[in-house]
Formats: sequence, C-alpha cells, structure tokens
Amino acid sequence: MIVTYIITAVIVLISLLIQSHPSFDVIRIAGVKPDLIFIIVVYVGYSFGSFNGQITGFVGGLFHDAASNSPYGFLALPKLTVGFIVGMIGRSVLKSNVPTIILLLFVSTLLKGIITLFLSYIFTQGMLSSIIHVIIPESFYNALLAPPLFFLFDKIFHGELEREGYL
Amino acid sequence: MSAIIMPFQKGYNGLHGGTSRLWAGFSELDRVRSELELTRSKLQTFESADVEFSEIKKENDRLRALLGMKEMLKYDSIPATVISKDPDNWFRTLIINRGENDGIKVNMPVVAYQVAQNGEVKELVKAVVGKIIEVRGSISKIQPLIAPEIKIGVKIGENRFPGLLSGYTYNSNLCVANYITRAAPIKFGDTIITSGQAGVFPPGLIIGTVVKSELLETSPYQRAIIKPFIDYNLLEDVFVIKKAPDKDLFDLFEEIK
Repeated sequence: MIVTYIITAVIVLISLLIQSHPSFDVIRIAGVKPDLIFIIVVYVGYSFGSFNGQITGFVGGLFHDAASNSPYGFLALPKLTVGFIVGMIGRSVLKSNVPTIILLLFVSTLLKGIITLFLSYIFTQGMLSSIIHVIIPESFYNALLAPPLFFLFDKIFHGELEREGYL
Repeated sequence: MSAIIMPFQKGYNGLHGGTSRLWAGFSELDRVRSELELTRSKLQTFESADVEFSEIKKENDRLRALLGMKEMLKYDSIPATVISKDPDNWFRTLIINRGENDGIKVNMPVVAYQVAQNGEVKELVKAVVGKIIEVRGSISKIQPLIAPEIKIGVKIGENRFPGLLSGYTYNSNLCVANYITRAAPIKFGDTIITSGQAGVFPPGLIIGTVVKSELLETSPYQRAIIKPFIDYNLLEDVFVIKKAPDKDLFDLFEEIK
C-alpha cells in the first residue's frame, strides 16, 4: 500500500504544479479550469476505498490550500468529504465504464462545489451566482476530462488494482 | 628593315603578351580560387553577423520599450514576472518572482502594460493589475482586480463620479463598481480610473471600461460592470509600484476597526 501512497503523492504534486502554472489558464473554458487534484481524489476513493479517498482528499486539499489564497481547510474539507463518500460507493458498486465515470465526476464536483459554496459564506464572500459561474461549468469540465485520466491512472496503479482484485 | 621586323615584333609581342596572360591566368587561378573561398567565408560571417545584428536590434528595442515603460511610471517600480496563478476556480491570486528582498511590501499597487486598440491605432496602456497581499523572501502574492474580496476606490473618468470596485464573480474576468450615485450618467465605454482615496493606489491609474450599468430597485445607488484592460489569462509581466500606503489613512482605518 505504501507504493500507492507514494505514487498518489507524486501525482498530486505534479497536478498541483501543472494546475498552478500560468499557462494552465489558457485552457479555461467558460471561465473555469479543471481541478486535476480533485479528479485524483475521486479516483483514489473510487479505487481504494473511503480511508484512502479521505486521506488523499485531506492531504491534496491542504496542498491546494497552500498554493491558493484560500483559508487553510477551505479546499481540503470538500475534497476530504467527497473522497470519503465516493470511497463508500467505489468500484464494487459502480462499474468502471465511460458513462459511469463521467456521471461520477459530474455529481462529485457538484457536491464539492456545494460544500465549498457553504464554506465560502463562512470564510470569504459567498455568492449564490457561483453555482452558475463556477460549480456547474467545473462539473462539466471535470466530467469531460475524467475518462482519459481514469484510464491513465488505471495504467499507473495497475499493480495495486490487480492486488485489490479489480482487474 | 624595321618595316620587315615590326610585324614579327608585333606578332611576338602579341604572342608573348597572350602567353603570359594565359600563363598568368593559370597561375592566378589558384589565388583567385583561394580568394573566392576567403570571400565566401567572409560573406557567411557577415550574413550571420547580420542575423545577430537584427536579433540584437530586436532585443535593444524590447529593452528600450521596457525602460520607457519604467520611465512612464511616476513612482519607482520593480519589474516582475508572474510565476504562478491560483490553482482553484474560487480564487484568482497571482504569484510573482519578486519579494521582500526586492523591497516589495504589502499593499503596494501592481500595474501592467496592455496593448489596446484605439480606433485604428494600437497603443500601450498602463493599467492596474491589483495589489500585493502577501510577501515572502523572493515571491509575492497579488490580489487582482477581478477578485471579489478586493475593494478599490474608483472614479468614472468622464464625469468623476466615485464608486467602489470589486471583482464581479469568482471566475469571471469582470469587475463591478458599486455605490455610484443614481445621478451619474454612465455610458458604455466610459473609462474607470483609481480615485486614490484609500491611500493604496495613486490616483488616475486606468482600470478598465464600462460594459453595462445597472439600476437596482432595492438600492439607492447604481452599479457598473467593468471590463478590466488587463487580460488575466494572458498576463505575464507586471510592475510593482514602490508606493507605501498612506500611513495616516491606515492608522485611521485601524482606529475605526
């Protein structure tokens, strides 16, 4: 399992670097960019269960908070929660195919967005219009990117998935 | 006698001259060939020098432009490059490669130059990017105009009516100027400038243009949606203005708090 942790940490760090690079803003569609770290959190929760999902969500979220201007925990809590919930469902319930992955990421991002919106009312300046301007476009974008990324992660975590009996 | 010899002499002379010229031609061929090679190599050197010269000229023009930009600022400024942008959609902060070591302090204004189309003429416009909100050794964090958390005192350039500017939504590239009196005539394309009243930004810096004005029934004021001059998706180089915030005003704010 230690290999899974190391690989996950490396992927999270690489994603954070890509996501925070100025050139990543060029791929904004409808004003939003995809949340690569969140896609990893959902993948880990989906493939390796609630515990790993929430840990990845918490640690990845803290890294995300550190690179962002958010208060600490603002981005970690939604990721932790979604990582935990997705982990409860996981591969044993949802079959791994393209429509399922798209739907999973769409619903997960919506849930993450709603929790973030709730937190934004507490910590920053909450705006209900964020549902239209941030949450829904990001859900579509993440859902669209998820199938190729899940395919890539399946290749990276091939050994671990085989050990878990999913392949 | 001489009349008999002369044609022979002439013939010989001609033959000699021709032979010597022919011989000289053969003997000089090598020299000419080596000279040709030398000339060709010199030509190549000059051609590469010409390319190098045009590159140096371009670099010189760019540096002159940068110097000119720096001279255009009233205050001293520190040029910086954006090295990171906020990785999340809920925040829009920028990180630059200059920090405390370079003399940057919190609340210093940040500007950039953007090419703007004025009719058929393209001109370089100095416009506000945001302000410094956090400083470390060699990096600083900028809160841009499009962040909903920012508050900047502004004026409508044409009629000087004041307002309070902040970001429109979390992910849009627009700003909104609130608390503009209903009496203010706001037109599409009006320029918005800093008022300089809050003590952070110098007065008169360009922010953007009005794209829409709204009269809300629930508010005694009107508001204007503003498109900043700066394109935040493509922003690369900025200038931090070395202007300390107005100390008296900040002391007053602290007292009010």
